Amino acid sequence: MEENQKGKLISRQQEDEKGSIGEEQVWSWGAGTDGQLGTGRLRDEYLPQSLHLPSLSSTGPISMLACGGAHVVALTSGGKVLTWGRGTSGQLGHGEMINSLSPKPVECLGNDFITQVSAGWSHSGFVSDAGCAFTCGDGSFGQLGHGDYRSHCSPIKVSYFVNKHAQQIACGMRHSLVLLTDCPGDQVYGFGAGKRGQLGISINNIKSINLPQVTCGFRDIKITAISANGDHSAAISADGQLYTWGRGFGGTSDSHCPQLVASSLCCSKASLGWNHALVLSGDGEVLMLGGTHHGVLSDPKKMNPPKHLSANSGESLLERVPSPDGMKVVQIAAGAEHSALVTDDGVIKTWGWGEHGQLGLGNTCDQTKPQTVHLDREYPQKDTTLRVYCGSGFTYAIRSPRLLTQT
Amino acid sequence: MSYDDVEIEDMEWNEELQAYTYPCPCGDLFQITKEELKLGEEIARCPSCSLYITVIYNAEDFADQKSNKNLNPQKQTVAVA
Repeated sequence: MEENQKGKLISRQQEDEKGSIGEEQVWSWGAGTDGQLGTGRLRDEYLPQSLHLPSLSSTGPISMLACGGAHVVALTSGGKVLTWGRGTSGQLGHGEMINSLSPKPVECLGNDFITQVSAGWSHSGFVSDAGCAFTCGDGSFGQLGHGDYRSHCSPIKVSYFVNKHAQQIACGMRHSLVLLTDCPGDQVYGFGAGKRGQLGISINNIKSINLPQVTCGFRDIKITAISANGDHSAAISADGQLYTWGRGFGGTSDSHCPQLVASSLCCSKASLGWNHALVLSGDGEVLMLGGTHHGVLSDPKKMNPPKHLSANSGESLLERVPSPDGMKVVQIAAGAEHSALVTDDGVIKTWGWGEHGQLGLGNTCDQTKPQTVHLDREYPQKDTTLRVYCGSGFTYAIRSPRLLTQT
Repeated sequence: MSYDDVEIEDMEWNEELQAYTYPCPCGDLFQITKEELKLGEEIARCPSCSLYITVIYNAEDFADQKSNKNLNPQKQTVAVA
């Protein structure tokens, strides 16, 4: 279908508004040479590609996507998991180490109701409603948490958490974090590569560990969300405080214990890249940490004078991302070196590194400011909800009927 | 400009590519062969994009056959479950 071309066929659009608004729509763009775009082709796409994924749409609405180095993990509202893209380390969990061009169910998890998923560089993590954590893929840094350095091509339960209740898992380049429920003090665990401090388990230099160990510094703090990417880790507390550890942002030194980023900021979500972090504030503003590479609001001369929000000058600098037309932002996503956001009026904007078309703007240019991505069908925002997800060098967007996502 | 500085110990030997590799943000791998290291090359390139990294290593480790033997990758086995 050529619907991504600008010339809109009005009659067709009207038809679509009546006909298919009840269905979820998925688009992908960016690096695609391992099949991670789900287009059935092994090439980069510079514009959003509308996907037709029968195996996915027949499994029910997508509750979340997790995009890794070159693979995608989709979770359906029925607790089922489908994966596609690069599978050469076993990260797809299909029981073999090969790529998959289209979404395939992870059969091995068929008896579990999965509630949350994560995709790292070449490993994947899954959490079930019973509080079990599963991992598969590359284990050569201990990032699967099974007490060895083996790789697995089917998800294996992390036995360390068997008598505990896992709530979330976050997979970075070569490490993993797990958040437990109702476990004050010992809520966050790290395993895998730890050279940059990304496990947060000790001030000493730890090359890697293959069994989960408690992340320090959260004894009296209730953590509600964790994230990991590259050699970075982050957590958000119940009162909206953001903590980061691991590789330093913007040339600052690495941190081996969680550091409070900006006590004045009420943070509702954080998304990590390889050299930057996006932070969504409670009132719909986006801030960025780092970004000296591509991530990017890199040229300080082009920026408004950055506002120092950090608690002390030794911390990394948080910069405000120019608000698109004063709109509130409802969602953020960071790729390795690019960024995406969704505004409350249903517009996706992207910026950062664009060499593989991961900004979806029809070219390979980098962007220092958020630019609007044009999807091929426009619907009234009141009827639909847009979500955006970033892998290392690619991006996904999902438009769902509003009623569906509210239930 | 070099995307990053990476120590050789943080790179992985890839049997198929016959090269030391490190993840590239585009999804592919930065690569450098032992022959390149022997020649003193310190740039590992990504075949899919314009980015490259600077590899930090001790030139002596790759300089002659003798020490090259110690780095023979065959001892690294990949466990498959």
